[in-house]
Amino acid sequence: MDEVIRKRLLIDGDGAGDDRRINLLVKSFIKWCNSGSQEEGYSQYQRMLSTLSQCEFSMGKTLLVYDMNLREMENYEKIYKEIECSIAGAHEKIAECKKQILQAKRIRKNRQEYDALAKVIQHHPDRHETLKELEALGKELEHLSHIKESVEDKLELRRKQFHVLLSTIHELQQTLENDEKLSEVEEAQDASMETDPKP
Amino acid sequence: MERAVPLAVPLGQAEVFQALQRLHMTIFSQSVSPCGKFLAAGNNYGQIAIFSLSAALSSEAKEESKKPVVTFQAHDGPVYSMVSTDRHLLSAGDGEVKAWLWAEMLKKGCKELWCRQPPYRTSLEVPEINALLLVPKENSLILAGGDCQLHTMDLETGTFTRVLRGHTDYIHCLAFRERSPEVLSGGEDGAVRLWDLRTAKEVQTIEVYKHEECSRPHNGRWIGCLATDSDWMVCGGGPALTLWHLRSSTPTTIFPMRAPQKHVTFYQDLILSAGQGRCVNQWQLSGELKAQVPGSSPGLLSLSLNQQPAAPECKVLTAAGNSCRVDVFTNLGYRAFSLSF
Repeated sequence: MDEVIRKRLLIDGDGAGDDRRINLLVKSFIKWCNSGSQEEGYSQYQRMLSTLSQCEFSMGKTLLVYDMNLREMENYEKIYKEIECSIAGAHEKIAECKKQILQAKRIRKNRQEYDALAKVIQHHPDRHETLKELEALGKELEHLSHIKESVEDKLELRRKQFHVLLSTIHELQQTLENDEKLSEVEEAQDASMETDPKP
Repeated sequence: MERAVPLAVPLGQAEVFQALQRLHMTIFSQSVSPCGKFLAAGNNYGQIAIFSLSAALSSEAKEESKKPVVTFQAHDGPVYSMVSTDRHLLSAGDGEVKAWLWAEMLKKGCKELWCRQPPYRTSLEVPEINALLLVPKENSLILAGGDCQLHTMDLETGTFTRVLRGHTDYIHCLAFRERSPEVLSGGEDGAVRLWDLRTAKEVQTIEVYKHEECSRPHNGRWIGCLATDSDWMVCGGGPALTLWHLRSSTPTTIFPMRAPQKHVTFYQDLILSAGQGRCVNQWQLSGELKAQVPGSSPGLLSLSLNQQPAAPECKVLTAAGNSCRVDVFTNLGYRAFSLSF
């Protein structure tokens, strides 16, 4: 365990990466200030410049990454809002479709009611035919009633003629009877007149 | 069937009695609360149980949510019929109607608001009240049952205003036709009679058993269930379940169901029916069977559709009958779960 810690401290003693570079830069600057010879100083100076540019490069990279992250966040926000909008839109569409389903169910119900009634109606005969039959029957009725009327008229006529005949016969009978009675009475009178003048 | 009680637990008398009670229970009637979140069920022992639909349907429902929130003894005899107004629950059993306040019922030990008896011909008669119907325009209640008459009771004053006579045998079911406004009643005498409420006279009589297409003499002529949609009426029972066109009094569609149906209702473009048989049947108006969804009771006596606008999440179909369970169908295609007494 200690070995690991010691190794870690040795490798990473000054902090990781950029932090270490900055620490090393500060240390080398101090060494350079305290150094003696010209060439060493120059080479150390070059080394420091390269370390500095490395640090600047790394900083530039970090700034760009930061920018990118910011823009990524914005992008995600935008996508999030779009998705929310489309969810709301989908909700509305669902409500709309539900209304349409209800409407379609109502239409289906009406159609089925219509079908049910139509089936019943089909069982009954066609109106035109019934009307025609009715007309024909009506005409027959008329015709028959005409015949009935004419027959009745004939009957009346015959009845009247018979009546006249019978009454004439009756009168004749009466007249004949009257005549008989009269002739009887006359005979009786004649007979009594004959007996009377004798004494 | 009930889950078997484990033999290791010694059974007390009370538990045995309760288990037997539940085995022989029949739920005759159901009613949904005006807020849509509760369901009341009345059984043959005269008890009414209130179930919380919103708790049972919520995502964290447990076994206890399927039990009643409160159960109380409402009547001495079976509770044959129940109906809800916007504040009260009206329940009817052997000869009397009682009213309960929905807001009060959830507390234990609630008392009925009032208890009334319609005027019977003789004081010895205690006929059962098989059907209740609310007429919202006149704020009145129509009762019908064993004395073969329809009584109208005004809900505000409690007086019995009309008596409609005409049936020759007891009445099973009532339905309200909004357009006219008329009341339809169907009974044991096999006739569906339409009564005009304003003139208190019988306007139309349909003797179902006299029509050859739908009569089934081996089942009898009794009309067990009625539902109406203003122009159309569906009725069933002894004769086959048939759709009638009221204006012309002609039977238009016969639904091919052998078992007598005890409850029928119109829903959207379907007709839902239930009766002697496990299933809730869904029919198209053309006579085709669209679906048959089995429930948990061997026979069903009542169906209730919770269409209260205040609780759209509790929009369910509940079915109850010859058992202590009320089946809840969230979607007409399958049984979601069962509430139990």
